Amino acid sequence: MYGKTACQLVKEFASGDKGQLVSFNSDLFQQVVAECSQHLLELQSLIRKMEEERLDIQTVRNADYYGALIHHLTLVRNKRCLMAYVYNRAEIIRNLLWKIGHVLPQEIEEKLSHAEGEYFKKHSAALKYYMSKVMVDLTVDMIPPKDPYIKVRVLDDIGDGILLSDDKTANFACHSMHLLKRTDAEQFISRGQMEELSG
Amino acid sequence: MNTKYYDIDDIIMEEETVSVIFQKTASGVGIDPSSEKDFIETGSKVELPFWLAHELQMRQAVSVNIPSCFDKTTRLEIQADSAGVDLRSRCPFFYEFGCKIAPIVGDRTIGFLLLSAFKSRYKEILTKAHSVAFAAGSKFWSILTKEEINLYETAQSEMASFKKWRMGGPRFQIASVLGKKRKSTE
Repeated sequence: MYGKTACQLVKEFASGDKGQLVSFNSDLFQQVVAECSQHLLELQSLIRKMEEERLDIQTVRNADYYGALIHHLTLVRNKRCLMAYVYNRAEIIRNLLWKIGHVLPQEIEEKLSHAEGEYFKKHSAALKYYMSKVMVDLTVDMIPPKDPYIKVRVLDDIGDGILLSDDKTANFACHSMHLLKRTDAEQFISRGQMEELSG
Repeated sequence: MNTKYYDIDDIIMEEETVSVIFQKTASGVGIDPSSEKDFIETGSKVELPFWLAHELQMRQAVSVNIPSCFDKTTRLEIQADSAGVDLRSRCPFFYEFGCKIAPIVGDRTIGFLLLSAFKSRYKEILTKAHSVAFAAGSKFWSILTKEEINLYETAQSEMASFKKWRMGGPRFQIASVLGKKRKSTE
C-alpha cells in the first residue's frame, strides 16, 4: 500500500521510549525518498497524458485525474512522515543539550546521522555564545539551592586534575566522596558519573 | 495548517485502514490488490489508509464504510463490560480514530459510544493506577488503547512525584536518556 514505508519510519521512531533516540534509519529514509520520486514520475505521466488528450486539467475529472490525485496525496503524506521524523528527532537532540550538556556520550552520538551531529554542535555553539553574552549559565538547575554545597559520591573513575570553579583541582577517584559546589557537580550527576547523597 | 502536522501519534493513527467504495474510476495506481491492472473501476471495494480515504471522500471520489472497530459486536461488548473489552487489538487509537471517522461516515451514535466507553474505563484505569502496579505486558496492559496507557502512566508518575515531594530525596538525578543504558552495562 502507498505510504506504508513512510509510516514504518514513523512507527520506528515511536517504538523508542519517550525522549529516547533510536538510530537514524537512513536506509528506510532513502527508500521513502525514492518512493516519492517514483510517485512524482507517475503523477507527471498522468498529467502529460491528459494534456496530450487536450483536456482542461483544471476542470476535467476523469480516471487519470483521480489517479494523479492519489499520487499527489501519497506524496504529501510521505512528505509529512519524513518531516515529522526529522522534526521530532531534532527536538530530542535539542533537549539532550539541556539534559546532559555540551558533550554527548558515545552511545548517543552513534545514533545521530551526520547532519544531526552537525546540528547539535551548532546548537551547542549558539547556546554557548548566547550565555557568554548575557554572562549567565542557563544550563544549571532552575530551583535555587538551600545550600550551595552538596555531598556527592563518585560512581565512575573520572580522574584527577579536574578544575573546579573555585580554581582548585580535585581528584575524583571512584567511590570517593566530596563536598562540592552544586554547579560543579550538576554536569557529572546528569551524566551518571556521580550521585547525590541526601542527608 | 494542521496543528498536528508533526504529531507522531496522529500520523500513525491515520494509517488505520478503512474500507471504501470507489464512486469514480482512477487509472495508473496500484492500490487495489484484487485488480490485476493499475485501474480502479467504479464500485470496487478497496481497503485504504485513513489519510487517503479521507481526502478522496472530501472530493466525492469514494464513500467510506464504518470501520469494523465501531460495529455492532463491539458496541454490545462495550455495553456489557466496558472495562474488559480489548480495544487495543481493535484499534490502538480507538477514541481519536472514532472522533475523526464519525463526521465522515455521518454516524452520530459513534460519539455516544466513545463517551460512554471512555467514562467507564477511565474510572477503572485511575483506580488501578493508584492501587496496583501492573508489570508491562500483563493482561491489563494489553487491552488499553494508547490514550489510556498515557493516562495510566501519568497517574502513576504523578503519584510517584507526590511521594517524592512528601518524603524528600535527591534533587539531582542522572538524565533519563542515559538511565537505562547504564544499568544494563554494569
